[in-house]
Amino acid sequence: MIYDVCIIGSGAGGSPIAYELSNAGFNVVVLEKGKYYKEEDFSKDELAVSRRDKFIPDLKDEKHIINEIDEKGDITRFDGHEYSWSFWNGSMVGGSSNLMSGYFHRLKPNDFKLKSVYGEIEGANVEDWPISYEEMEPFYEKVERVVGVSGNLTKHKFLEPRSTSQFPYVKLEENHVTKWFDKACEELNYESFATPRAVLPMDALKRNGCSYSNFCGSYACATGAKGSARAALLQKCNAKIIPEAFVYKLSSDDSKVNSAYYYDSDKKSHTVKAKIFVLAAQAIESSRLLLNSSNKHFPNGLANSNKQVGKNLIFSAGGSGEGRFDFKNLDKKQQNELMQTGLFFNRSLQNDYEFEKDGKRYKGGTTDFLFEHQNLISRVAREFYDDNGDIIWGDALRDKIHKSLTTSRRLSFEVFNDWLPTDKCFVSVDDKERDKYGVNVGVINLYGHPHDLEVGEHLAQKAVNILKEMGADDIDYSISSSPPPNLVAGGCRFGDDPKTSVLDKNCKTHDLDNLYVTDASFMPTGGSVPYTWTIYANSFRVAEIIKKELS
Amino acid sequence: MINRRKFLKAGFLSSVIFISSGCELFSVTTPKETLAILQNDLFPHSKKMGTDVKKYMQIVLKHSKVSDADKKFIKNGIKWLNEEAVLLFDSTYVKLPSDKRQEVLKSISKVKWGRSFIYDNLTYIMEANFSDPIYGVADGQGWKWLDFNTGLPQPKKAYL
Repeated sequence: MIYDVCIIGSGAGGSPIAYELSNAGFNVVVLEKGKYYKEEDFSKDELAVSRRDKFIPDLKDEKHIINEIDEKGDITRFDGHEYSWSFWNGSMVGGSSNLMSGYFHRLKPNDFKLKSVYGEIEGANVEDWPISYEEMEPFYEKVERVVGVSGNLTKHKFLEPRSTSQFPYVKLEENHVTKWFDKACEELNYESFATPRAVLPMDALKRNGCSYSNFCGSYACATGAKGSARAALLQKCNAKIIPEAFVYKLSSDDSKVNSAYYYDSDKKSHTVKAKIFVLAAQAIESSRLLLNSSNKHFPNGLANSNKQVGKNLIFSAGGSGEGRFDFKNLDKKQQNELMQTGLFFNRSLQNDYEFEKDGKRYKGGTTDFLFEHQNLISRVAREFYDDNGDIIWGDALRDKIHKSLTTSRRLSFEVFNDWLPTDKCFVSVDDKERDKYGVNVGVINLYGHPHDLEVGEHLAQKAVNILKEMGADDIDYSISSSPPPNLVAGGCRFGDDPKTSVLDKNCKTHDLDNLYVTDASFMPTGGSVPYTWTIYANSFRVAEIIKKELS
Repeated sequence: MINRRKFLKAGFLSSVIFISSGCELFSVTTPKETLAILQNDLFPHSKKMGTDVKKYMQIVLKHSKVSDADKKFIKNGIKWLNEEAVLLFDSTYVKLPSDKRQEVLKSISKVKWGRSFIYDNLTYIMEANFSDPIYGVADGQGWKWLDFNTGLPQPKKAYL
């Protein structure tokens, strides 16, 4: 059988294409490495999900090699298994979108033309996108309706142009402490807003609304309220989904991919033929598959005649911080407000999405605020040290845990700014190390440009100002080049010049007529927001293009 | 007679650890013997909350996602803890009175491996105390102690 479309990977990059094409009557198959879990399989079991990493592969079976490159150019090699350094996210139908927090921000128009607007930065490969915000806008709007985005649109100086005046779903219920936050922002003259979320506040789209169960990020949603690729799209179409199908090779002639080869859970090999192939296995793994699929026509790897596959890997730069609110500084009413659980703390700041410093114009970013994750074991483990940094145990530990967790609460923030693409940050394949399938593992070559830290530091200071104004104690933050594994993009950037890009503006490879890449790999720069909304929107955009091609 | 499967299942916690004094063999212990006393010394409140930490250790040390390196470190830590006890008081850890055991813990907390060993043990203890009742080692008393409302739905089966 020859399918119309074969999609490799079932996350936010692949699912919109499965949804659109299968609903248009095309024959679509989705190959997903992970298992097919559904709502009834999900629970808030901290041991399973957060301590034993139920939804990601065991590193002894599947790992990465990580080469960390410092400013001097010295390389330190880490074996991901040996150092428990994981770059896996959600290995399951729907991918990591099942586990996302669903903080949804659009890119701004200037994010599409970073080089033109802000100029080149030494040591970085900044490029404009080959499409504009205006071309993407209808698809951002489509995601709001089809996947479901809730929020309350408020004007601020960096609010992007929109074709609709409001989100289709009202904002989620909020913890009262957001009022303290809003007051602090008002005092500081900062413009904050309610964070849009890919979470339905009420039953809609044939899905249940949020149950305010007190756990969201890192956990798959048992109600279907979270707009995962599985709940919002794959369960709403008749694309054939083959779980536990690890694609290890694509074969091609000189102009077309003809087959995808995958191993099932018994390591039995299968072949899938299709007219069009869409690769969306997550940025690192998509590059790895192309590099591992070399043949006589493409000896450097598929779609890699210009040796660009894997290059310009990016993450979200920035970091995180927090402050603690203690009962001793609060009246009874405020204490009760602080300890309310289940309700969301949805506040974001884009006050400095662009800023000037010492006469220079900088691209800034986004800061999202949220209560410390409710995971109890990890919160308790933070109390193992005393104020001097010495480890404690026994009654001293018991008393510290009890006091901290019952009479205080931490408000956290996450900073998102551009991780500049460079020659030193890229994906390659290890010559010797293999995974449980016998396939060469991916190598993640890591480098963070110093500019990223400068911007992150500026944004973090603004967040600290808010926490101070709110009266928080123990304020602390960390801005670093440490890569968040769930915010990865690039490796197959799109562009108009086939010499410097892997994909054309339609996300089709320059080299092969029937191969598209639609996960975050396509992004030449990442914007200063979490990527998921943009991945969804772009995938809906490419779905229109493929639909036309097949018609 | 213990069959092979049961022996392998019991394996890690019942394995023999040789404790040296200088170059000489001083005594032997098992992870099971030392951990039972050590983990109570580190967080006696577990017992008050009715948590079966011993049972949890049997579960977690067989878990596929707990690495061999983690298990090896626990085993080495038990050996080194006992050797520190021998060095300080000429006795294995388990045979010392409570106050002397605390002194051994204070001594190892001053070195890197000792801090890591205590941290890892505390982590397992807290996993036991605050685990969902489906695991059969805690019944929610830990949650109550910290006014914690668990997320819903709770698991219908343990992830082992």
